[in-house]
Amino acid sequence: MTESGPLLELAGVSLMRGGETILDRVSFRLAAGEKLVVLGEAGAGKDALLRILGGFTAHNDTISGTIRYAGGPPVAASSRHRAALRVAYLPNPLSRPLAPGSVLKQLTRVVARKLRAPFGSAREDLRLALEQLPGGVTLAMLDTTPENLDPLTQALGLLACACAQTPDLLLAHTAVADLGPRAVKLLLEALDAAQKRLGFALIFATGGLQPAARLGGRVLVLRGGRVVEEGSAERLMSGHAHAYTRRLFEALPKLKTGVPKPRGAVRGQPLLQVHNLAFGGESAGRDGLTFELRRGASLALVGEPGSGREALMRLVVGFEPAPKGCILFDAVDLNVLSPVMAARIRRRIAFITGRDDTLDPRMTLYDTVDEPLRAHLNLSSELVAGYRDTALKRVGLASHDGKRRVATLSAFDKRRLQVARAIVGAPLLVVIDEALSGLDAHAQAILREVLVDFRTNQDPTFLVVTSDFTIAQALAEDAMVFEAGKLVERGSIAHLVHAPKHDATKALIEAVTLPSLDLSPGSASD
Amino acid sequence: MSRNTPVLGNVLRGVGWFGLALLLITMFLSDFLAHAPAGAEFPGIELSAPSEVHPFGTDMLGRDVLSETLHGLAETGRLAMWAAFFAIVLGGLFGAVAARLPRPLALALRGLFGILGAIPPLLLAIVIVGLTGHFFVAVAAGIGAAPLGFVRAFDRVDLHSPHADYAIATGIPGLSLLQRDLTYDFRHVLGAVVARALAAVTIIVSTASFLGFGAEPPARDLGLIIAAAKINHFTAWWTAIFPGLALILFILCARLAAGLEEGESA
Repeated sequence: MTESGPLLELAGVSLMRGGETILDRVSFRLAAGEKLVVLGEAGAGKDALLRILGGFTAHNDTISGTIRYAGGPPVAASSRHRAALRVAYLPNPLSRPLAPGSVLKQLTRVVARKLRAPFGSAREDLRLALEQLPGGVTLAMLDTTPENLDPLTQALGLLACACAQTPDLLLAHTAVADLGPRAVKLLLEALDAAQKRLGFALIFATGGLQPAARLGGRVLVLRGGRVVEEGSAERLMSGHAHAYTRRLFEALPKLKTGVPKPRGAVRGQPLLQVHNLAFGGESAGRDGLTFELRRGASLALVGEPGSGREALMRLVVGFEPAPKGCILFDAVDLNVLSPVMAARIRRRIAFITGRDDTLDPRMTLYDTVDEPLRAHLNLSSELVAGYRDTALKRVGLASHDGKRRVATLSAFDKRRLQVARAIVGAPLLVVIDEALSGLDAHAQAILREVLVDFRTNQDPTFLVVTSDFTIAQALAEDAMVFEAGKLVERGSIAHLVHAPKHDATKALIEAVTLPSLDLSPGSASD
Repeated sequence: MSRNTPVLGNVLRGVGWFGLALLLITMFLSDFLAHAPAGAEFPGIELSAPSEVHPFGTDMLGRDVLSETLHGLAETGRLAMWAAFFAIVLGGLFGAVAARLPRPLALALRGLFGILGAIPPLLLAIVIVGLTGHFFVAVAAGIGAAPLGFVRAFDRVDLHSPHADYAIATGIPGLSLLQRDLTYDFRHVLGAVVARALAAVTIIVSTASFLGFGAEPPARDLGLIIAAAKINHFTAWWTAIFPGLALILFILCARLAAGLEEGESA
């Protein structure tokens, strides 16, 4: 690598695909050891930029502009020649970057190929890199298939693999999205430490704002393939920024940690009654879980993935039979009813999840919203169309072609479609299971507003499953905090956030509290 | 073929449907297009070669082969359409519905149809005709071809898709899920299924008739006409060739319309 000049210098780099401009005359410089967070919504051009820098563009891409590597002469951006730079890539473990074989072998093979080193030597490099990272991940732990590894362990393995390559430039593509706040905090801190230790330049493409807030450094804001703004994270977060950037940062949910205000008791009839419910396998205590959720109330089940919150939700809504205890929905035990009778009561339950397979991909947008109405009610086509149009308007999908198939919709549209389907069903209970995961900051903010509007207008009971206290606080009043299959703390979210008692609660709150945001006047508490 | 070259596949499919449409019109207008009514004999001109008066010649009883072929085509088409209807309803549709029945019953039906599917369709059809009589040849051919369709439709239904789980958890009845399958899956393959079933049952019906288990005289389908021409085939080739070509054309058009995929996977 040549030591003079910046490590990377892009001049007017554009990418056209099928007549559409994906990236439009992007120019920036990156010094050795510098951090650059590329921030943008879905379709902003982050992916295209990383593909050009990584040299894995599609065959039908038309690329123009030049790139200078390490002070060398400018080369065409379309060239796959990467000078003497060693570039490593850090993907998101949830994007399934690894094949079904042994994770250890795959990571070692990558390191060996990049370093052109023997397999044994690469394995040793990987071991040393793992030792430098938190989490206590060992080579033996990685010697299994990706399906047997939790996402955090996989992410640490991938980070160790990137570090072991001793790169000049690390390209991270939404590397921590949807991994849970504690995992995100741990990984970003580990990445920050590794970057300082190894001195590589880092380009971190993200749709979320957490990385920008936690990693600091320089932020490049992309929108529609163009650079909207470039500046330090501190400056952009402090409010002295372009209106678009300001809007993005305003969308960052803030935890209200102020003194809780007294609130009236929820007086509705009990909707969900759980008595002595055993869950979480062997870790469940002798006494089961008992709680009640009244009509119009809201409860968040907060915890990291695998903490037991999901297991409880699945038992409560009847996805799985309860091994011990009793669950009453609207004073009825659904397990003792015939399937037909249970279906009549179940129609008052709605799901809004972060999974894209919740909706039938074959169905059209209109049919998806119409189905609950047609299945349960004897309404005229005009009435069905009226309810459907109102619901689609409320979630912002009214302008979409109603004959479009669900499979062709974006993740954001699918989530909004789930809300529209829930709205027409007039449910008593709405289960919101990590509904904001996988969305960029702006889409998250819109969906959060749509959900709040849904609750305000129709007053259903919300059961929110999340690992993010900011989401819990936005959508619910009460929370149960879970860790390792156990309920560790419960109470009103305002009290939990103000004065958490259990370490798990503290860690979850700390994970979504961004110290650098305090620069913004009035961003704390209320 | 169609997977590798979709354009060529679509063209061939179009040609197949066009051919089927023409044959269908011919079947409906067979009484007008034919020189003579079905079974009409012209004494003194037995086994005469193709000529201007009788373009396809005459058979051993002096019947006009062109007219007989047209009437036979209409009869074969009528039987094949009924048989295809039974095959699709008893096979594909029943298979899709059966998959959503209570599991033990569904699996018992799957097992039964699996066994039936192991029997060659022609033999099954002949057994059913033997038990019920010639009148039920279309039903017999439909039942003979149904087991394979049942098994494929049954296996195609995905009972454990997450979207179905979520739908059931929100009280959407199984009938609505079945409606999804019919609306979104079967609607798109219906054309191919009909064409493929038509090709399969035409072979069964014609072969059964050829063997004497199909159409009952005086009604004569193409299989029966070819069977009657066996005696003179080597001396009066026209008596079997033209009905045979009509049969080949019908089956070929149906196969082309179905997409020419091997294994009848639709």
